[in-house]
Amino acid sequence: MKNDSFNLNNSEMKELILKISKIVVVIIIMLVVLIPFYISFNYSIKDHTEITNNRLALPENPTIQNFITVISENEQFLIGYKNSILNTIPTVLLLMVITSMASYVLARYSAKFYQLMYLVFIAGILIPFQCIMLPLYLNIYNTGLISTNLGFIIARTGLQISISILVVTGFVKSVPRDMEEAASIDGCNRFQAFWKIVFPLMKPVNATQLVLNTLFVWNDYNTAVVLLRSPESRTLPLAQIIYFNENTSELNLAFAFFGMAMIPILILYLSMQKHVVSGIMAGAVKG
Amino acid sequence: MVAKTRKKQEHTHPVFSRYNLRIHGGNMLFMLPALIIYIAVVLIPFFQGIPYSLTNWKSIISDKMIFVGLKNYTTLLTNKYFLDTFLNTFKFTAIYLLGANILGLFLAMILWRSSRFNNIVRTVMFMPFTVSLVGAAIVWSYVYTDIISSLFEVMSPLGCSSQVIGGMAVIAIWRDMGYCMLIYIAGLQSIPTEYYEAARVDGASSFQRIKHITLPLLIPAFTSNITLLLAWGLKVFDYPMAVARNMEAAKTTTMYVYDNIFGFSKAGLGQAAAIITTVVLLILTTAVSRMFRKLEVEA
Repeated sequence: MKNDSFNLNNSEMKELILKISKIVVVIIIMLVVLIPFYISFNYSIKDHTEITNNRLALPENPTIQNFITVISENEQFLIGYKNSILNTIPTVLLLMVITSMASYVLARYSAKFYQLMYLVFIAGILIPFQCIMLPLYLNIYNTGLISTNLGFIIARTGLQISISILVVTGFVKSVPRDMEEAASIDGCNRFQAFWKIVFPLMKPVNATQLVLNTLFVWNDYNTAVVLLRSPESRTLPLAQIIYFNENTSELNLAFAFFGMAMIPILILYLSMQKHVVSGIMAGAVKG
Repeated sequence: MVAKTRKKQEHTHPVFSRYNLRIHGGNMLFMLPALIIYIAVVLIPFFQGIPYSLTNWKSIISDKMIFVGLKNYTTLLTNKYFLDTFLNTFKFTAIYLLGANILGLFLAMILWRSSRFNNIVRTVMFMPFTVSLVGAAIVWSYVYTDIISSLFEVMSPLGCSSQVIGGMAVIAIWRDMGYCMLIYIAGLQSIPTEYYEAARVDGASSFQRIKHITLPLLIPAFTSNITLLLAWGLKVFDYPMAVARNMEAAKTTTMYVYDNIFGFSKAGLGQAAAIITTVVLLILTTAVSRMFRKLEVEA
């Protein structure tokens, strides 16, 4: 009897130790993961002398002067910001409309033809951008859309369709079918039934694809470096590389630039993180 | 109930009946916008690229090109410089794939139960994924010089040829392990707890439980993570472009393609290199996903 209760205590003890060590490990990993964020934030609020004298410690007198300097003196930053916004928003909205429509059909019909279409759409994930880069560049050049927002929007939408359809189709399979059937009995045509009934039901997955697509398009370097050849058409990632290479001595400014480029995405992610996390998990298992 | 009758109707109608035309025609309209853009941006250029790779096309501003057959391909496959870029890409992919998956799986095993603490940690772990690859590479170049170098008194791995691939792989692992973690968490949550209880009743040790229940049932998550990261790894471009632009040891195949087409005016050769890259990527990813699908069936 005594022995038994001693054993129980022992295993409880073990469990507790295990739990605490887990938390410690997790917190250490979390701190390591956050180091780059700490560095960027820290460097961007120090002035020039402090960053050379004492890089890693928190600043004694934090300043927002760096941000103001970048905004007011660096033309490339404002151009980059403007282009990134003008490119990202239409691309993301267009993707939401067209891929939710296509995914709806792909998820609802299981005939061979639709399975084939699904595979055709998904195959895009496996085609590296470099393989279509040259012909795409030429086609866009020939239509006069090189270095324009419109050209970039069309190209980026096309390149993003595969991954968007992968995420959304998995989700639609879990949306109950009865509702749109009911709507079609009520005399809506299918198009109306889709926009009235199915599209609103897809809100969670559309939130997911909104954040993911924003992330991919806003951060895109690969497509931008090929299609946006003029200085006036550059997006933030392009401007960022140039700025960092030119300003290795003005690290505080470079990091202020970097921080401001990242902030909209970080805010979007943190405010919608529930949808992102659950959406990726849902798409992964069913897709 | 309604769904069932609908299914029956689909079967009884002949292929070209009015009903079928209306339904499938309507379906086509739903898919059409996505399909048109996808065909125009991805599929057509993909096929357009093949003939270019069979020419000696040089500068993309000129129209001069002569058909040379498979010469570009034989040149590339015997060119040590090109094959080295493949080696670099493979090395990067191997470290990145293993690192991100092992760490992602480890984190998922700790964090898979939903609790407030775990949810916060998951949010933080996924945060690097929101940073651009270019941004990540640049910030890490300072993590290396300012923290790692001064702490351990070593050179930044991005500054020396033998370590630059590893250095970039670490950046990629940092950025994408949160993504792997989420997929593994989804996999772990889908395993019914009764399985573990039954195993415990039968006296299985925790190691046995992991080996015989967790790992086999996680195979779909492995398939998804490994195929996707394999593709991402083989396509790596942004990291070396941002922090190791002029280092021979960091040159990946995608950079080789870019440089030949837009830098060195060897468009035909560059396009051939792009197609070789694509073929390798297709073969590797299908092989890997086939292998895992097979395991899935066996488990």
